[in-house]
Amino acid sequence: MKLSKNLVALAASAVMALTAPSFAEDWAPDGPLTIEIGFGAGGSTDTMGRVLAEVMKENTGWNIVVENKPGGGGVAMFTGLSQRPADGKTIGMGVSIPVLVQLVQRGDQLPFNVDSFDYLGTIAKAELALVASKDAPFDDLEGMIAYAKEKGTLPVATMAPPQVLMMKQTKATTGAEFNLVTADGGAEVMKLILGGQVMAGFGSGEQFPYLESGDMKVIASANQSRLSYAPEAKTFIESGVNAYVDPVFFLAMKAGTDAEALKAISAAIDEATKAPAFAEIVQNAVKGAPINMGPEGAKQMMVDGLANAKILFAK
Amino acid sequence: MVDFSTMLAGFGDALSFLNLAFILFGVVLGQFVGAVPGIGPIMAMAIAIPFTFGLDPLPAIAFLVGVNKGGLVGGAVPAVLMNTPGTPDAAATAMDGYPLAKQGKPLKATKMALFSSITGDTFSDIVLITVSAPLAVLALKMGPIEVVALMIFAFSILAGLIGNSLAKGIISAAFGLLAASIGQDPENFTPRLIFGYWDLFDGLALPSVAIGMLAISEILHRLSEAHGNLRPAIIAKNTDNPDDSRVTWAEYWSCRVTMLRGAIIGTILGALPGIGSTAAAFMSYAMTKASSKDPGSFGKGNIHGIAASESANSAVVGANLIPLLTLGIPGSVGAALIISAFMIHGMQPGPLLFENQGRLVYGLFGAMIMANFVNLWVGQLGLRLWVKVVSAPESIIFSSALLLCFVGVSMATSGLFGVAIMLIFAIIGYLMTSFGYSLVIFIIAFFLGPRFEKSIAQSLALTNGDMTQVLKSPVAVALLILSVVSLVWFLRTNARVEDE
Amino acid sequence: MGTMADRISGLFFMALGLVMYFWINPTYIETVDGGNLSPDSLPNICSLILAVAGAFVAIKPTNHHVRNPVLMAKTGLYVALLVAGIWAMSWLGFEYVAPVLALAIMWFVGERRLLWLGLGVVVVPAAIWFIVTQLLGRALP
Repeated sequence: MKLSKNLVALAASAVMALTAPSFAEDWAPDGPLTIEIGFGAGGSTDTMGRVLAEVMKENTGWNIVVENKPGGGGVAMFTGLSQRPADGKTIGMGVSIPVLVQLVQRGDQLPFNVDSFDYLGTIAKAELALVASKDAPFDDLEGMIAYAKEKGTLPVATMAPPQVLMMKQTKATTGAEFNLVTADGGAEVMKLILGGQVMAGFGSGEQFPYLESGDMKVIASANQSRLSYAPEAKTFIESGVNAYVDPVFFLAMKAGTDAEALKAISAAIDEATKAPAFAEIVQNAVKGAPINMGPEGAKQMMVDGLANAKILFAK
Repeated sequence: MVDFSTMLAGFGDALSFLNLAFILFGVVLGQFVGAVPGIGPIMAMAIAIPFTFGLDPLPAIAFLVGVNKGGLVGGAVPAVLMNTPGTPDAAATAMDGYPLAKQGKPLKATKMALFSSITGDTFSDIVLITVSAPLAVLALKMGPIEVVALMIFAFSILAGLIGNSLAKGIISAAFGLLAASIGQDPENFTPRLIFGYWDLFDGLALPSVAIGMLAISEILHRLSEAHGNLRPAIIAKNTDNPDDSRVTWAEYWSCRVTMLRGAIIGTILGALPGIGSTAAAFMSYAMTKASSKDPGSFGKGNIHGIAASESANSAVVGANLIPLLTLGIPGSVGAALIISAFMIHGMQPGPLLFENQGRLVYGLFGAMIMANFVNLWVGQLGLRLWVKVVSAPESIIFSSALLLCFVGVSMATSGLFGVAIMLIFAIIGYLMTSFGYSLVIFIIAFFLGPRFEKSIAQSLALTNGDMTQVLKSPVAVALLILSVVSLVWFLRTNARVEDE
Repeated sequence: MGTMADRISGLFFMALGLVMYFWINPTYIETVDGGNLSPDSLPNICSLILAVAGAFVAIKPTNHHVRNPVLMAKTGLYVALLVAGIWAMSWLGFEYVAPVLALAIMWFVGERRLLWLGLGVVVVPAAIWFIVTQLLGRALP
């Protein structure tokens, strides 16, 4: 197929790099390298994973196959990955929060834990915002809580368990009542807000066109820190509710993989996350730059995330 | 509002040689891959997406639209020629398409499917291009309570598909809903009935269930009959009468009301996210059958049955773009794939898309209209080819179809696990047919089940469990009254057919 | 004989509904605190409907004739073949199993002509392999 200018340029630089001894690692996969994406075709995780693979392929010349293994926000894929031999042929790509939630709530039913994998790096962080229609009679979380108390209850749309738990935490801290409507993804949250069925809801990017058009406003950041695109909106923590979620897109292999392979693959991932073609996709998908915390950083992120998840999600 | 010169420039872009070439390529690929048993139109798009990474936005999206539209036409081919629909919406087409093909008129049956598909598609494209903005506002007003009422209405129309035993129809529906409840529950996200298999956490994969029940179970049945008896899988023609291989203008024109009704049903359901083409195809089929002067002729090769199903399921696809382009809300898996293609090219569909990317949007509209012409032209040639292919001996057709279903389902789900589920549902489907239980009612209930349960949960959350609030929604009340009326009407029609 | 098929299938669905309601649903569905729609509501309602409608079919059977038992037995043979095929694919992969599976199916159907056998056993699996792995860059089962 025809390649974009970016990819052609990348291919050219990769060819040059290959001829220079500095880039080429001694290790190369024996046969095709598979990236298993823990989500279905067509979503933002899938898109980022496929472009990452494409860029890695151009950079290294390895044969990289991308497969979708949807189920349980990545849990099905990581379950499968943990049962494979550590042969350095299969990489899993997932999002931290859904995996951590299941580990905390149903760890006894899962055949893996955080230590079952060797981490290769991260590629991006998702920013999660609580948004409302521009006509909503409140502008921040404290205002929303006050309004909920005044009205008795307030309908809020969520799309995943962590958001439900954050709202329950809000209720526990402040005593405000919410009608929690669970939607099928961020796009449906936006539909419920626009249709006036709920007053506020969570979005992980689906709200951008409406922020730009002025139809919606950001109420709060659900991350640990404020949102890059709406720095004036306070976080839940700053508003007095001690809860946050930080979903991170990461890559990992079965624990016990050959150190040479880990080094070469994580180097290739690092190289790819710096490519402009990849940065463009990440920007489109999560409205932020690629973030690679490296193998140690990724592991630390999961360990810390598990500790935080235990506080927020333990039954 | 987009000014007129931008619209013209957009339409002009669609006519450039490069874009036309990509439309043609997309349609050919879509028709071909969509017609392969076990792969189908959605899989065709998922496969095509990575190839659009390197293209400019308009050719990329025009290509995908071509694949989508071509896939719809192709999807009817295995349903009509082999009675092995790859998607549940094509199952409605098979109900009259296959009997007609078996009478030695495969070209007539597939051409009727092609013409009515393109008619329905063109209708919804025109609605999209002219009145998408007001329709999108209406779609927004359909909150969870109205959606529950709409789905009850859809279920009531399915009563028109229940055959001689009401109890057996109810069993099929309840069994389908039960299968749909496997996987996380819609409100609390607990793993439900997954028996330790996390692959089931998101529910049974639709391709596994649909292809297993509709295609594999039929292939198994035909294999058992074919034992030691080598026939072509379909007979291209019995007589030299040219009318057996074509659709005359009089025949096409006689279906105008059927196709218009199908197109309207498809457009309305397509504009509302989450109901989908399967319900549209079967609602259109059931209404056409019930309003026919000769309902007993349905299921025996009536071209109205083909026209009803294909016009409705194709109209859904164009109409799916109404909430997608105006609100950024995908109405189906295919639409979700188109959104990701937009995102890859740095655009997010939504309220500002027409303002910021007016030329591109009208380029897309131009491409959709062109794709319909190309679809008609390629379809005329392609259908002859498929009828030839399926005229090969059953031995090779069915063994190859099985291998393709294995590969297709494995790619569409998570590997061999999905294939194993497919085989389990093939066995269930075979046994259900053997004992006289309707597979299509099972499939529709399975398909609508998750959305139905989720909408009920949402309605309960919004009303604090007080269902009398339904009375505050005139739309919901009207739909519920219509449900009762149609239920009575369909059950009486069924009784009428039985009496004949 | 005419009503036997419906009695059997009716009793089966009645039993399925009851087993689901009394044993499987309570065991394999978690209970939650609060919320508006309990996870077991829909499965329980469906199970009860199955049980009642199944009982009804068994009590008032229609005159449904089941398929020819010989054909059903033959179908069982093909099912066994496909099960073996999936099992073998999980160990050996599509490339090695597909030709054998195709040969077995075609042979059982009664195909003996070399040309058609060659097409179905060699050309079709090879074409699938080429298209999926080489053109599309995807993995085979």
